[in-house]
Amino acid sequence: MLTRDELKSRLFLRVALPLTKVVREDDPKMRSLTRNMNAVVQFAVKGADTGAHLVFENDGLEVVQGIHEKPTVAFIFKDVKSLNDFFAGKLALPSIKGLWRLDVILRTVPLLLSLKMLMPEADPKDPAKRALKVKLLLYMVTSALSQLNKSGDPAMAKLVAESPDRIYQWIVEGGPSAYLRMKAGKSKAGRGVYTRRRPFVLMKFPDIDGAYQVLTSKVALVEAVKQGFVVTEGAMEYSKEIGIRMQVIEELMAN
Amino acid sequence: MAKGLTWTVADADHMTQAEIYGEVLTQLGAQNEKIIALTADLAGSTKIGRFQKDFPDRFVNLGVAEMNMMGMASGLASVGFIPVVSTFAVFASLRCAEFVRTDICYQNRNVKIIATHSGTSFGQAGTTHHCTEDLAVMRSFAGMKVIAPADSYETANALAAAIEAEGPVYMRIGRSFEPPLHKSADFDFEIGKAIQIHEGTDITVIACGRTVLSALEAAEIAQQQGLSVRVLDMHTIKPIDTDAVLQAVGDTRRIITVEDHNVIGGLGSAVAEVIAASGKGCVLRKLGLQDQFSIVGYPEDLLHRYGIDGDGIAEAIQQVMKTDFEADEDWEDEV
Repeated sequence: MLTRDELKSRLFLRVALPLTKVVREDDPKMRSLTRNMNAVVQFAVKGADTGAHLVFENDGLEVVQGIHEKPTVAFIFKDVKSLNDFFAGKLALPSIKGLWRLDVILRTVPLLLSLKMLMPEADPKDPAKRALKVKLLLYMVTSALSQLNKSGDPAMAKLVAESPDRIYQWIVEGGPSAYLRMKAGKSKAGRGVYTRRRPFVLMKFPDIDGAYQVLTSKVALVEAVKQGFVVTEGAMEYSKEIGIRMQVIEELMAN
Repeated sequence: MAKGLTWTVADADHMTQAEIYGEVLTQLGAQNEKIIALTADLAGSTKIGRFQKDFPDRFVNLGVAEMNMMGMASGLASVGFIPVVSTFAVFASLRCAEFVRTDICYQNRNVKIIATHSGTSFGQAGTTHHCTEDLAVMRSFAGMKVIAPADSYETANALAAAIEAEGPVYMRIGRSFEPPLHKSADFDFEIGKAIQIHEGTDITVIACGRTVLSALEAAEIAQQQGLSVRVLDMHTIKPIDTDAVLQAVGDTRRIITVEDHNVIGGLGSAVAEVIAASGKGCVLRKLGLQDQFSIVGYPEDLLHRYGIDGDGIAEAIQQVMKTDFEADEDWEDEV
């Protein structure tokens, strides 16, 4: 079983870092900043195989897990804890390999900093930014739940192991959707609406604002249901179970 | 409940489907003078003795002459009567098959065939008196509506609906003391519209006749095991409720059909035809007699033997839940 720090780093590298791709696709400013950039930017722990890298190529971005042999720029952390601190927005200075490619660093850092909007204290007023935050949170929650299972978190792994083929679906009307599929120990986070069968639990937000209130925990779930910010259909007890796991993730990533 | 009927909840709890049928037929007979009851020396067994007592001039016992009975029913229908024919399912569907096909269905005559002792419900009478082929035979006759009500309450509503419906209707009911599924007859019954008895999203069990109650028991067992099972009472096998089947395909992608009948040609086949025509992928397991003749025994033991009691269906649910409805996908998270 992974240590708390190992689990956190897994969530940052496999869940949070890939969201840079979503930000780049969604935010024209970020897209133009990294337009036509060809570079590999790596985040790794010194002497370990913990790491992931951003591959900017053909005006696209891919987030790849693992260590790249020859990154253009590498952010190297002395240990897993400092990598976690860096991604949690705390003071943690990595050593930087490829510093001479300042252009790549200057174009990548704003993209990384944009992930700060995931922090609970970030409260954008711009409707487009709020919509983006909702999308990122939805994608983050579903991926993190799946990663929690894949990392062997006992409670999540038990829930997934005992689950027949089931879909937990989140839908924001007029906005993004994401789902989590579970089946006898296996899990997968997906984007969009799973159309192959009806969800076992459906959390439907009537609009972006409702989703924003709930996903940022500004309103407790019970109150949110009462106020119509979210409509839950299906197995309520399992919906509660997922809610508890979501709180675990929030706590893990924020502290 | 059909308007004007006076039997009570207590009656339904203590009467067999056949007894309720006899009771309701008598009451419908009082409301509609066109109804004529015909039997082939089985008035007592098919429980229409009260109709005979109340309306002797609208009751015909043809003796052991079932085929003639179908012919007479056709003739009576041709002059505006509503003949209600009662005999054992095995005689109505197999011995009389050609007469039902040619005299009744081909002429589209308004005859109602009420077949008692269907499936394995005549347990101790043995294989010759069981009827596990009738749904297949009757379903294949053009224009025939085929109904298998789940309990006494549904039998009452189905009989009233069958009398109302234009054209030939075949209704199969049991013989034994089928426990009630519904709490009363106060529910919407429409020929061709399935009734959802239990909601669920993991798997759908579609049953007809007395196995609907078994399906509900199985759903409750499965619920204890953490599964969410939808149960559909598919009382009309023809015309089948295509919408309900397709909804189940889309929602749960795993379907089990249950019938006290051979799995060839009956409810399972009707459901399979709908699924195949839709082009959608779905796991389908058909429970019933697996292309075999039934043996002699108590009806409850026979249900167990053929895996169509609550335990048998619950076991099948567990097995089907382990079956994929499509090639298993890549389990990498989408990023």
